[in-house]
Amino acid sequence: MKTFYVNVRYLIVPVMTVLTICGLFLGGIYAWTGVFLFGLNIILDTATKNIHLRADFDENGNSFGIKTFQYIVMYLMLPIFIVLQCTLGWNLYQFTTSSAVTIESLIGAILSTGLWAGLGIIYGHELSHNKKEGFSVSRAVMALSGASHFTYAHVYQHHLELGHQNDPATAPRGRNVYWHTWLSHFGQSKFSFDLEKQKLERHNKSFFSLDNKWILGYLYSLPSITLFVWSGGIIGIVALVVVWSISNFLLEALNFMGHYGLIREAGKPVEHRHSWDNDNLFTSWFFIEIGRQGDHHVRGETYFWELDEVGAPNYEIGYFTLFLLTLIPPFFRKYTQKYLDEWDNNQASVAERQIAKDYYEDTKHLSNNILVA
Amino acid sequence: MFGLFKKNKSFTAKLADYDQEFIVEPGDSLLTGALKAGLPWPKRCQVGSCGTCKCKIIDGKTRAEIDFSYVLSPDELNDGYALACQTSLKSDISVAVNLID
Repeated sequence: MKTFYVNVRYLIVPVMTVLTICGLFLGGIYAWTGVFLFGLNIILDTATKNIHLRADFDENGNSFGIKTFQYIVMYLMLPIFIVLQCTLGWNLYQFTTSSAVTIESLIGAILSTGLWAGLGIIYGHELSHNKKEGFSVSRAVMALSGASHFTYAHVYQHHLELGHQNDPATAPRGRNVYWHTWLSHFGQSKFSFDLEKQKLERHNKSFFSLDNKWILGYLYSLPSITLFVWSGGIIGIVALVVVWSISNFLLEALNFMGHYGLIREAGKPVEHRHSWDNDNLFTSWFFIEIGRQGDHHVRGETYFWELDEVGAPNYEIGYFTLFLLTLIPPFFRKYTQKYLDEWDNNQASVAERQIAKDYYEDTKHLSNNILVA
Repeated sequence: MFGLFKKNKSFTAKLADYDQEFIVEPGDSLLTGALKAGLPWPKRCQVGSCGTCKCKIIDGKTRAEIDFSYVLSPDELNDGYALACQTSLKSDISVAVNLID
């Protein structure tokens, strides 16, 4: 029974994505299913903000997670997300060729698709850490949102550089999520470009090669572009831009929340204190434990169902609730300031405090203890 | 299919310069096996990006779980170097590594 519970609890996203697809098929008010579910998740996440669970292991220390089951689910998310996009394409086709789909229904379908394509990126993230086949599936999932470069940048840059200004996915204090989305997205793409350039030069190959994963990544997005252009023309292009903007915004919002304002000395090991944990019940189950960032960044090859609470700094609320705050930057900064003060005072190393003092010209980003030190 | 239904078999990794060996369980990387055995294998990122866990496979069959060419040079690849955190075993192996003192 415990095994069943531990494995089934991570099916929220697959189930809700399928419901969103059903809503797109039904049309009308049901096309807004994905938006409604997103709102429902905010309520559920906020309602469970005080429930924090640990990872489940038996008396011998073995996890209840079934690897084969979890991997089948993660791999299945690729065709599910393809169906989601195709269903939106069908809506676009209906809208442009007949009156079967109204503008209200189409807007709901576009927003629903963008939100769930974005939430589905958690599978792209998880699989980016897992072996050759999983890595390829990750690339394909990310390509559906025009972000295939993420897979390489996440593994080869973010996990190595987090907490440092060399990592575009780490947001310094004072930055808002909107600006961070641009900087992080294009910063990671630039890194992936440079990574391929260096690799191909070392192997005496041309940049314009089938071994160039940066170019290939964008080519993987061509089927999505073709689908939207074919099914909706100009409106299809607008829909694609909206879907990709929403999904990439959600991806970068996760990066933003995961490391905002934290500092690490270059070259020093990544430790639990260099990531924010968001590990209340709903966030843990919905986001397949991606909120246990502290453990994930120290044990990068660990399966998500084995990640645990490790004493990392913790925002004490879930991702959905915190996401709402990030949308209004002054609210986000006000909420996070006391946690950053706590980090500065009790978790940062002496060197990290000095970096904070040197880096931030605006002293409102620093705790009083750092200022008087 | 997708590596989900592989044979469940443990293999032994022998450390060439230390006269020690350890078991690598199915599904575990070479690094994970070493750490489970309590060996002070050098490590940092554990996702195959930093190169700290680099080792040289002297004998036996292994599988690179990610593309090592981003971290290892062509010469190192030709000489059998691997990243232990992203290496799985397909047979018993002999491996050279500088353990942490």
